This record gives sequence, structure tokens and C-alpha cells, in this order.
Amino acid sequence: MSTHDWFIEHRTAFATGALDGTERESFAEHVTRCAECREAVDVIEQELRWLPMGLRAVAVRPGLRASIARALVDPPVITPKRGIRMPLALAATFFIAVAGVYDAAGARSDLTRVRADAQARVAEVARLRDTISVMRQASRVLQAAISVDGRNGGLLIFADNSSHRWNVVMHGLPAAPTGQAYQFWFITVDGMVRSVTLSADPARPAFATLEMPPTGAAVMGASLTLESSDARSPEPRGRELAHLML
Amino acid sequence: MNASKHVNSTARILRIVREESLRQRLRARDEQALVELIDQALPWMLGVAEGILHDVAEAEEVAMDAFRKLWDRIETVADNGSGLMPWLLRATRNRAIDRLRARARRIDGAAAAAVDLDEIPGVDAAPVDEAGMPGWPVHGAVHRALYDLPEDQRIAVRLAFFAGLTHSEIAESLGIPVGTVKSRLRIAFDKLRVSLAPIRDWIL
Repeated sequence: MSTHDWFIEHRTAFATGALDGTERESFAEHVTRCAECREAVDVIEQELRWLPMGLRAVAVRPGLRASIARALVDPPVITPKRGIRMPLALAATFFIAVAGVYDAAGARSDLTRVRADAQARVAEVARLRDTISVMRQASRVLQAAISVDGRNGGLLIFADNSSHRWNVVMHGLPAAPTGQAYQFWFITVDGMVRSVTLSADPARPAFATLEMPPTGAAVMGASLTLESSDARSPEPRGRELAHLML
Repeated sequence: MNASKHVNSTARILRIVREESLRQRLRARDEQALVELIDQALPWMLGVAEGILHDVAEAEEVAMDAFRKLWDRIETVADNGSGLMPWLLRATRNRAIDRLRARARRIDGAAAAAVDLDEIPGVDAAPVDEAGMPGWPVHGAVHRALYDLPEDQRIAVRLAFFAGLTHSEIAESLGIPVGTVKSRLRIAFDKLRVSLAPIRDWIL
């Protein structure tokens, strides 16, 4: 048997991990040079790729799925060990001493600003995540095309029935005329319920994540109107731009 | 094309679309996609890891390691042609076998593995809830393929593939020459490659 015949004969054993230590090392080294054997091993691995499923599935203990997801998405923060922290602290002290111009009060101020900035960013990320979670779980999506002063835009509603929240997106519309505002309304079984005003910016969509009206009345749809900015009427008085029913 | 073939082909297209969507969302670090993948793959991964390690806590750690590896290398894994689920199963099996070898209790593992193989119930006896779970048809096909092997070949496959024993360790465990082990395994895996061909391109 030639050397290569030996490798041909042991391809399956290598692909399934059954070769002994030295044989495995020898084969691993061989496949780095031999494209034919490498491809043959790949084919065998593909052909046997479902073999692990000969073992049956087992019940997953409650909470394990969530804890795996959490661990991957929010890995724990690893605090540097003391042995590492000390040289860094010493280096920092040395740097400050040499520079001689470092203003401690200014440093505190910088630190406070950085912390505030970081907190603001964390809050922004949390808001964005919340917004995305509503969109992702939306069980209904409603949309209406709107034209205002010759500009074409629209209103999109992502309705999440599990959390009872809506994401409302208004896009492509010009700024509301002076003295007016885009007013969003819920249409409920008890009538119209005033919700938020939306600020239009032609360059970017306006987003709002809304809870259902506190009255508890069943929501049947939504409306968008152009209202006088100072109007506080419980019912729409202005021009209706969109009317959407669930 | 008859109705049954049409349904199967439609189901397959849907599975391809779903897997591609899952890959794209995982590439975009979509957490919901990760949750979906965990939901689908974890029962089978734990089955593999527990079957090899016989230790629930260690099996959970192995599954976690496999998911972490996938999440950290999602760009590479998503472009890999073998599919997300086979990749995870392979990572789980490799990690579990590494642990088993590190434990240096291979012979015990071999004995336990041989017993377990006989304890796997027939697919026909599967409870209704299991028969409805994703992946059950694949398990059924693999299980049938394993049980179609003669017993001596099945045990050799079990020890090599599910207990991570090498040729010489299997020979020692069964008290037979290494050449006999090699020959049994070669014949058995050749048969399995043929009998598993219909599910090779399966998408979970």
C-alpha cells in the first residue's frame, strides 16, 4: 500500500475523529498539502453532518435559553486583575508627575462630562432597543400615503399586540405650517383620544412609541390631523391627513 | 408533480428562506435571531452533549461554548455552506469529546455510551409532542440508519463517534484487534454515508 493509499483509506476515520494521536497529526499535516484528500474529507463531513442527531433531543430546563442569550448579548464585564491595575495606575501617576500641568479639577470635570455622555448614550441605546422590539414583535402593520403641500410622505404604524404598544413613524412630510402641528389620535370605541404631536423633518422620519390610551377603551384605529398648535380640543378640528382602521 | 411532493418542495423552500433570513439577521447581530436559533438548536445540542458527557451541567456549558463560538464568529459561520444547525452540532460534539478526553475516563464513557445506544427508543414509539418538534424527522432518519447497521458495527460507530474513542481505544475496550475496528468502522460509515444521503441537504 502506498503512503497516499493509507490516507485514502483513513479519510473517514480522520473526518470522524477516530484516528489515534500520531496518525491524526500525520493526516492533519497531509490535508494541508493534499487538496484531493481535503476535499474528500469535506465531502464525508457533509455526508455525515446530521449524524450527531442520532442522539435524541432533551428537555431544556426553564430559564436556560434566556440565560444563554443574555450571556452572549450582554457578556459580564471583566474587572482587570490587581496585578494589571497597579502598573497602569503607576504609569498614570508617572505621566501626571512628568507632565506637571494636569489640572485635577479639570480632570474631574472631564470625567463628569464623559460619564454623563456615556449615560445619555446608554439611555439612547435602550430607547432604540425598545423601539426595535416593538417593531420586531408587531402583529399588525398599517400604512397610509399622505401628501402635504406637494410633498409625498406617509404614516406607518407597527402594532404590537403582546406589549400593547405601537410604534408610529411619520416620514417625508414638510414641517407643519406656522401655528399648526401634526396631531396623532387613537380611534377608540368611545371616540377619539388625543395622543402625541409629531414634529416633521423632511430629512428624517419622526418616531413615537405609544402606550394604549389610559382610558382603557378598545382601540379601533388611528388618525393624523393638522391642528392648531394651541388647540387642546378633545376631538379633531383640523384637516385629517390619514385615517387607519385595525 | 403530485400534491405531497409539492407540499414537501414548498416546505423546503420556506426552510431555505427562513435559514437565509436567520443568517442575515445573525450577521446584523439581531438578538431576536439569536433567541430563535437557541430555541431551535438547544434541545438537540444538549442531547448530543449529554449523550457524550452524561453530565447535565457540563452539557449546558458545552452548549453555551458552542453558541458563544458561533456568536463571536458569525460572519464566518454564516458564510459556511454546511448550515447553522450542523455547525452547532459539530461544535457541540467536538467540544464534548474534548472534555471527555480531558477527563480521562474514556473507558467509562465507552461503556455508558454502549448502554445508551440500546436505550434510545424506536422512532415509532416517539411521543406525539416530540414527533412535532423541529428536527424530529432528521433524528428519525439517523436513528433508523444506525439501527440498520449490524450490532458490532453500530457499537463501533457509537464508541468512535459518540464517545470519542480512537481506533486503539475501541480495540482495547472491545478486546478485538485494531484492524478489525478499522474495518468495522470503515464499512459502517460507508453504509451511513449512503443511508443518510436523502437527508444530507436537509434544512432544519
